[in-house]
Amino acid sequence: MATTSKQYKAIGEDLWKSRTDKINSELFALTYGALVVQLIQDYEDYAEVNKQLEKMGYNIGTRLIEDFLARSSLGRCSDFREVGEVVAKVGFKSFLNITPTVTHSGPPPPSSRPTSTAQQSGVPGSSFILTLDENPLAEFVELPDEALEGGLWFSNVLCGVLRGALEMVQMQVQVEFLSDVLRGDESTEIRVALLKYLEEEVPVGDD
Amino acid sequence: MQVAPATALSVLADPPVRMVDSAVMDYLLIEVVNALRVSSAVASARAKKIECDMVEAGLVLPAPAPPTKQQNPRDSASNTSSKVSGSGDEDEGVRSRLEAIGMHVGGNFAERLCRDRPLFSDSLDVIKFVCKDLWVSCWDKQVDNLRTNHRGVYVLQDNAFKPIARISSWEGRQEALKRAKLYVVLPAGIIRGALSRIGFHGTVVPEITTLPQCTFQIKLPKNT
Repeated sequence: MATTSKQYKAIGEDLWKSRTDKINSELFALTYGALVVQLIQDYEDYAEVNKQLEKMGYNIGTRLIEDFLARSSLGRCSDFREVGEVVAKVGFKSFLNITPTVTHSGPPPPSSRPTSTAQQSGVPGSSFILTLDENPLAEFVELPDEALEGGLWFSNVLCGVLRGALEMVQMQVQVEFLSDVLRGDESTEIRVALLKYLEEEVPVGDD
Repeated sequence: MQVAPATALSVLADPPVRMVDSAVMDYLLIEVVNALRVSSAVASARAKKIECDMVEAGLVLPAPAPPTKQQNPRDSASNTSSKVSGSGDEDEGVRSRLEAIGMHVGGNFAERLCRDRPLFSDSLDVIKFVCKDLWVSCWDKQVDNLRTNHRGVYVLQDNAFKPIARISSWEGRQEALKRAKLYVVLPAGIIRGALSRIGFHGTVVPEITTLPQCTFQIKLPKNT
């Protein structure tokens, strides 16, 4: 009995409502914005800033996933498509109170397996695109021309968060921004592509 | 859109407060400190390199032992807002950046909070605003104790200051205390920024003696 999209939405809503500890998203946006400005001043290189934001996000993601799993008590996702649904409808909703829309796409070579088969549609190469119609990080933000030319992805921390969180549940993914309204594009899109499943291993130096 | 005009307008005039989960903010702040540590090291390394280059090029005399002496000819390309001044204490760089971020946040956020408020009558009124409205919006409670000497110095005490309430270190309480001192710089900046945006330019010094209790000593200039 696969959990439907509506059920995930409901789960997300419940999680959001059950959280008692919330802060004003403006505080969050202001802090993040000031941080990005400071990083730009320190590194003076937009590609490096993108990298640092992603790294920050990775560290945040590795912790966030534990919080998420503890709160939501959702089981393992059966395939990558489900991962996309859970991330968009439950993950983003319970932390940022936004629900991006998900567009799935399977791996490039046509597969004869129907997507309803449990284990098989998590084939490396599958991906999904999250379209954020509102971005709490970018609330008061306008990018100057040099940032646009330099290729800054303002909300790149989100990519890192997704990468870190999914790595902790044994999925190696590549996450990148495709477009951003701050850059003048029509929508803000993040693509998450599955590279491979990771084997459980003892962390280095942990024994 | 099937919304009646009245509702749409009122939403525009008084937009609902958007919230995010506070765990996200906590994780972000943890990483902010780490990221700033790295970036301030990069920035100061760059400043030092420029300094070395200029010394080699003969443009500037090699710095005497306290490097704060030479400043003017060195038009440092790196951010001049970095108050590191080669002191070698990397914490100084992180601290000043954290305070700068705090001031930005505090100033802008205070503007939003003061939107429907009447004018502040005096500095005590402003401090009370900080103790109640600002504290509640940022940290979900009010200040526990306010003391003043009625001559521009105010001491705000919070017995369970939210940003440091859950700090712990596997190296023990002393280590946790040391780290907490870095994490309160941003809130101190928020307070300072808020006061500054309202028009009271003073200093805010945070102090922690025992976790999670924290005091902020605010010094406001006499009679703005």
